[in-house]
Amino acid sequence: MTTDSAISAAVDPGWEALARVAAGDAEAFAALVESHQERLLRLCERLLGDAEEARDAAQEVFLKAYRKAADVRPQGQVYTWLYRIAVNHCLNQLRRRSLVRFLRWNDPKERDAPTYDPPDGAAGPAAALEARRQWRATRRAIARLPENQRSVLVLVRFEGLSYKQVAEVLGITEGAVESRLFRAMRRIEAAQEAGDLRVSMGEAE
Amino acid sequence: MMTPGSEYDLMRLLHGELPADEARALRARIFREPELAEAYAKLEQTWQGLALPPASPVPPGFTGRIMAHVRSKTGPGSLSWSVAPGWVRAMAAAALVAGAALGIGVGRSWPAPAGSADQGSEPSSAFLASATAETSLADSYWSLVEDATVADGESEAQP
Repeated sequence: MTTDSAISAAVDPGWEALARVAAGDAEAFAALVESHQERLLRLCERLLGDAEEARDAAQEVFLKAYRKAADVRPQGQVYTWLYRIAVNHCLNQLRRRSLVRFLRWNDPKERDAPTYDPPDGAAGPAAALEARRQWRATRRAIARLPENQRSVLVLVRFEGLSYKQVAEVLGITEGAVESRLFRAMRRIEAAQEAGDLRVSMGEAE
Repeated sequence: MMTPGSEYDLMRLLHGELPADEARALRARIFREPELAEAYAKLEQTWQGLALPPASPVPPGFTGRIMAHVRSKTGPGSLSWSVAPGWVRAMAAAALVAGAALGIGVGRSWPAPAGSADQGSEPSSAFLASATAETSLADSYWSLVEDATVADGESEAQP
């Protein structure tokens, strides 16, 4: 282990665990999966827009992480490294989709898809309807963004990462993060103004 | 007055990315300048309007599913050496060479006395040798079967 990596390992003990994974320690790998699966599943679901597909994606992300564990150079946090693998995997997945599949939010079948109750069930059916309308509009907005803007938006808005962390995950500069985010916001604003993202009450039901 | 730079600053302010002093100064400007205030409100509305349902929970047994998937893709052998870092493999190889060298060295400096293998001074070795000579594996098997049959018959005979 180099001095740099030793310092990084001291910062995030996850790297030590990853070294044990590289040495074939199944327990260390199980612990790694346990501690990161929730956030990786969530990220994959945000990027892909499908829970089942997200599970498959997360599975592949951990497989890739396992295979790369021996060669990774410890730097920053383990989760940002895992996020990078996940984002790249999901973006590749999106590229593979056909255009129709890519814009699946417009699919009428989506109306039959299971929906979640809003956090405050006491708010009533009107609030639930409004929440679902908002979710649908957001999904549509995200799906229409170019992939580089989509990943930045999801990481900042829904994963709560700072510009610096996003830059680390995506391997770009903070300036690039800002620029992509700004353009994403502009697109969404424009779509909202044009009424593209509004879902009529009839459609939401 | 709005400039492209100030639009970026508004976004940084919204995301909590502006240093405290700059954020304070920009908030003061927003308070004074209606155009800036309107732009910020619009940006905030767009940002807050982005919402997704809570993510699906981790399915039960998901860790096991991942472990099984990794095992099926990498094979049991790859769990140890093939994915170990270079330094681990180097250490292992060095330990192997050192161990072999030590073994050879000890073997040469401490030769076994001639004919010791034939003498069979150990009682247990002698017993094993005689047992092997006198009874075959098949005999042992059938004697065990016989014993088991007798034992079953006895237990059935009991009321």
